[in-house]
Amino acid sequence: MADQKEVRRLKDLACDMRKKLLYLCGTYEGVVHIGGDLSMTDLLIGLFHYGMNVDPSDLQSPTRDRFILSKGHGAVCMYIAMALRGFFDYDDILEKYGKLDSPYGMHVCKVYLPGAECSTGSLGHGLAVSVGMALSARQKKQSHRVFCMMGDGETCEGSVWEAANTAASYNLGNLTGVVDKNSQLMSSYADDPMSYENYADRWRAFNWNAVEIDGHDMNQIVDALDNLPPVTSEKPTVIIANTIKGKGVSFMEKVIGWHAGALSTEDMEKAIAEVEAACAAERSAA
Amino acid sequence: MRPRMTIHFGSFASARSVVGGTIHELAQKHDNVWGLAADTGGSLAAFRAEFPDRFIDVGVAEQNLAGIAAGLALEGNIPFITGMIPFMVMRACEQNRTDIAYQDLPVRLIGTGGGLTSGGGSTHNAMEDIAIMKSMVNMTVLSIGDPNMIRDILILSMEYPHPMFIRLAQGKQDRILYEPGEFEYEIGKGLTPHEGKDATIISHGEMVFESIEAANALEEEGISVRVIDMYSIKPLDKDLVLKAVKETGNILVLEDHLMEGGLASTIADFFVDEGVYPKKFKRLGIPQVYAGFGSGPEQRKKYGYDKDAAIAAVKEMLK
Repeated sequence: MADQKEVRRLKDLACDMRKKLLYLCGTYEGVVHIGGDLSMTDLLIGLFHYGMNVDPSDLQSPTRDRFILSKGHGAVCMYIAMALRGFFDYDDILEKYGKLDSPYGMHVCKVYLPGAECSTGSLGHGLAVSVGMALSARQKKQSHRVFCMMGDGETCEGSVWEAANTAASYNLGNLTGVVDKNSQLMSSYADDPMSYENYADRWRAFNWNAVEIDGHDMNQIVDALDNLPPVTSEKPTVIIANTIKGKGVSFMEKVIGWHAGALSTEDMEKAIAEVEAACAAERSAA
Repeated sequence: MRPRMTIHFGSFASARSVVGGTIHELAQKHDNVWGLAADTGGSLAAFRAEFPDRFIDVGVAEQNLAGIAAGLALEGNIPFITGMIPFMVMRACEQNRTDIAYQDLPVRLIGTGGGLTSGGGSTHNAMEDIAIMKSMVNMTVLSIGDPNMIRDILILSMEYPHPMFIRLAQGKQDRILYEPGEFEYEIGKGLTPHEGKDATIISHGEMVFESIEAANALEEEGISVRVIDMYSIKPLDKDLVLKAVKETGNILVLEDHLMEGGLASTIADFFVDEGVYPKKFKRLGIPQVYAGFGSGPEQRKKYGYDKDAAIAAVKEMLK
């Protein structure tokens, strides 16, 4: 059972993060992948603020857990989760996001952003890179974990399953995949036209441990991270987190148009107020 | 001038075996050397036996392998991928570009079956690889025919912090061109195995053999032809090309690659950019065709870029 004080802290961080995301989305002049950012906000808070051993003051520590954002279009979500952890400064992100020579781009770029483990943005690439990192850790007898955050949409890519096959074949129990299963792709809902039936069983058929959780329930996120098999175990694990694209903003939730978009000031204020109200209601109910 | 013939010149050896042996040797000295294969690791058998924890075979999954190589390199390792060029280059094209080249990682991609040497037909021919790989920022592109040269190149690659694509010729039966130790190799340099003053044939890989044979035949007719082995296609040895233009005037590029997009295109770009105009410039290589079956030499003859075609082209230029 998760430590409730810790869960409270994480929930508050997630509330803060949603507001920061929406504020950026409302003040940045271009579009932001806000739908998928909001669907994995709770997961990234769980990972960067609880589950992963990371240290903003020592980016190259050999013992750090590695995090690969395979759904690289969720970059700003990662930047803000990391900023809240002390890696970056939120105001700096606000000022520079998407601008010329910015370290904070639409997709993660390791070349410009020390602290990012890997440049991503093209879907279906992250898991294979993570497998390479996990293989290296095994060979060097290191005891950190490698976490790879994927979107469910990108698991249409065959390369994901090639990597899944290799991870299981090489017994990479030090590798954890997290699928932000928001059941939407950019232009369609999962299951139409592509089928996501028996999704967890697909991973199990590749010889992975598959754990299904509600990706907006911080208790379940913490439990899943607490109960990962030991690093030395022989099976990779995937946490399949059922989420809602646009989570927390009524006019965004499950709306195809909000894969990426820009918010007017008025809508931004409305969205932030909604998030604030929901957080306050949740706190008073608890 | 280098001796016309040595006891080795023109005989065959397996570049693949040299590659496997050299990677094994490097792994004994460096604990960050890995051998990677997508069901193509036969030459790494001895390496695998000694270092099973640094040998990865992912089965037939080239794009996966390129991604894994990037992950290994991000952790400070130097992965050597061996395989057949078309699948290594084209199936894994985006991983090569986005995972390896974009992040400027020291992955070595070593492919066999350059040009039409594979005998497998158009699925297995490698006629676009140089065009594709040289277009990737940060990627170094080498083409090596001589099976001994690859050993020296792999050794010096240990000090090279960037990604590298090395195109071999057929890989099993490769022409020996140089005595071991005869030349010192350097990335960004070409070499001149045959001196001459009337024209220069610039070539790479197995075609250097045909070029030297053509130069020898032309010499008997009183025509003096220089041969350059431009094993470093990117970066190009511009000085050597420039010198050939100044000293011999006529330039023929002979290569086992599509005529468009290969070394000839690189050199033509260089000429235009620098405002250098040779007296005459001609290219011979694979035309816009999906070639069929047959040995490398047979196909080179059929498509007009073998020794005889080179001889005819040089004579035409000198008219």
